[in-house]
Amino acid sequence: MQLDEQRILETESSVQLDATRREDTMTINMGPQHPSTHGVLRLILTLEGETVVKAIPEIGYLHTGIEKTAEAKSYFQALVLTDRMDYLAPLSNNLGYALAVEKLLGITDGIPPKAQFARVALVELQRIASHLVWLGTHALDLGAQSVFLYAFRERELILDIFELCSGVRLMTSYIMPGGLQADLPDGFAAKVRDFIRIFPARLREYHDLLTNNRLWISRTKGIGPLTAEQAIAFGASGPVLRGSGVAWDVRKMFPYSSYEQFDFEIPVGTNGDTYDRYLVRMLEMDQSLKIVQQSLDGMPEGRWQINDPKVVPPPKWQVATNMESLIHHFKLFTEGYRPPVGEVYQRIESPKGEIGFYLVSDGSAKPYRMHVRGPSFANLQALPLMIEGQLLSDVVASIGSIDIVLGEVDR
Amino acid sequence: MADSEQVPAAPPTLAERTVALARDVLGDDVLEVVAFRDETTIIVPPARIAALCQALRDAPELRYDFLADVTAVDWPDRVPRFDVVYHLLSIPTRAVVRLKVRVGDEGEEQPHVPSVEAIWPAANWFEREIYDLFGLVFDGHPDLRRIMMPDDWTTHPLRKDYPLTGFVLPDPHWGGQVPFGEPLPPGTGQQTLRTPGGAPGDIDPEK
Repeated sequence: MQLDEQRILETESSVQLDATRREDTMTINMGPQHPSTHGVLRLILTLEGETVVKAIPEIGYLHTGIEKTAEAKSYFQALVLTDRMDYLAPLSNNLGYALAVEKLLGITDGIPPKAQFARVALVELQRIASHLVWLGTHALDLGAQSVFLYAFRERELILDIFELCSGVRLMTSYIMPGGLQADLPDGFAAKVRDFIRIFPARLREYHDLLTNNRLWISRTKGIGPLTAEQAIAFGASGPVLRGSGVAWDVRKMFPYSSYEQFDFEIPVGTNGDTYDRYLVRMLEMDQSLKIVQQSLDGMPEGRWQINDPKVVPPPKWQVATNMESLIHHFKLFTEGYRPPVGEVYQRIESPKGEIGFYLVSDGSAKPYRMHVRGPSFANLQALPLMIEGQLLSDVVASIGSIDIVLGEVDR
Repeated sequence: MADSEQVPAAPPTLAERTVALARDVLGDDVLEVVAFRDETTIIVPPARIAALCQALRDAPELRYDFLADVTAVDWPDRVPRFDVVYHLLSIPTRAVVRLKVRVGDEGEEQPHVPSVEAIWPAANWFEREIYDLFGLVFDGHPDLRRIMMPDDWTTHPLRKDYPLTGFVLPDPHWGGQVPFGEPLPPGTGQQTLRTPGGAPGDIDPEK
């Protein structure tokens, strides 16, 4: 508590050195229990009147030690931890982790095409779901309440698909190292096609509600600007980077999980303001839908898991009838697999930006070190650039436009 | 994967050009170059890391302008004890490389590493995170404060000798932790990782 006061005083004294200082400088605290900080973000804002002159983000309120916990789990068990980081896009986290473990094991080329296509379809649905939550909450922050209700209505359709696949709506852990946890269920394609049929019209509704809405434009255009140079220097990625006009998408630049076979575009903004980041995400939902459609149309037949009982558990009927399978099953769940000594870094494009999994193996059955490069973590670093010099009321717009998930920032 | 080496006519890959540049800049200070799973790691002494990063960022044909990640790894039985790992990316050329420095003399409580914050502002929070969770001090960092843990925390949770279950904290809870060097109260820290003899609930079959 004392340290906080001291820091606030330090902030004030640094402002006092500024020659342009006015007498009414004031330091206020925003969050961590503020509805518009999307979790437990805390900002220490120094204001001159209504203008923010200095902003210091404080994070760590949701630090759960996921990286530490993963060091005590087998590779198989650590999968479930990844769901809980970016809890709005668990499947994207699963995919990043699964690809990293597969790279470490050296089995990347052995993942069957069906698993790869299904993964693409699932993470793109997840991207839409994550963007819908962003859209709803971002609009809600700026006073557009109805969009929130509509966006969550559509998100529920996607969560139903996930529930059909894995039995859970949110923390699916459905994508695992070696493939998928289970084969795609019977009604999967039909249900996804239903969604593809329904969603474009709904997306147009959101556009009608916001894109040309004068109130929306006046709250977002020119707000929270970030130049391309700033975005790159501060390590921003995903829609924040693309909103600033950099056509960078890990799916295109370092294709993974058969993304090179899909035809899609990267929406790019020009001004790097809140409105451009909004538009980039809205257009991305279109592209994601296109990718899901292609994935369904081209879905290959075959296995959904790699045919390697050292990595994925054998089917239950084999465990009950076959000695070898029983041994594999037992070894896998008591001991797990042991990747060779080495380290890998796997980057994928999550809905928030580049999520990177850095895994170090010491040859044992547990990751010696798992580090996650959270896209929100890096993007949030750029927040002071966006809001310093802007009005206090626009801080909320800028926070919403970065689309942070504190579970991933703090891990 | 492995047999892409030794092809005489092929132009040097981005990774090879990166390694060549590192050797140009640092000479014999490039301690080791490791290739694993198509990823290149260049290991350099801590004193030269900032110079190398500057050179890689400014090299016109490589332009590593994006610092994707900085993290650390603790190897308690090794001297030097810590790895600091940098993942670099170039948006114009799509080159990627991993740099690594090893720091920490025997018994050194808080090893020092030069900061690269002046080269990529993105390093700011990543280095703060390492300072917080590993206790490495980044020289030249403008704002080296704890980022995840409370400001009055005294230990560094991602070190391997920090027990997974944490410490049983004497009252008052915040700020009342066990300082460096003091023995733990009996019965705490049962689940320390990779301690000789293993621990209850540890499924590592080697133990």
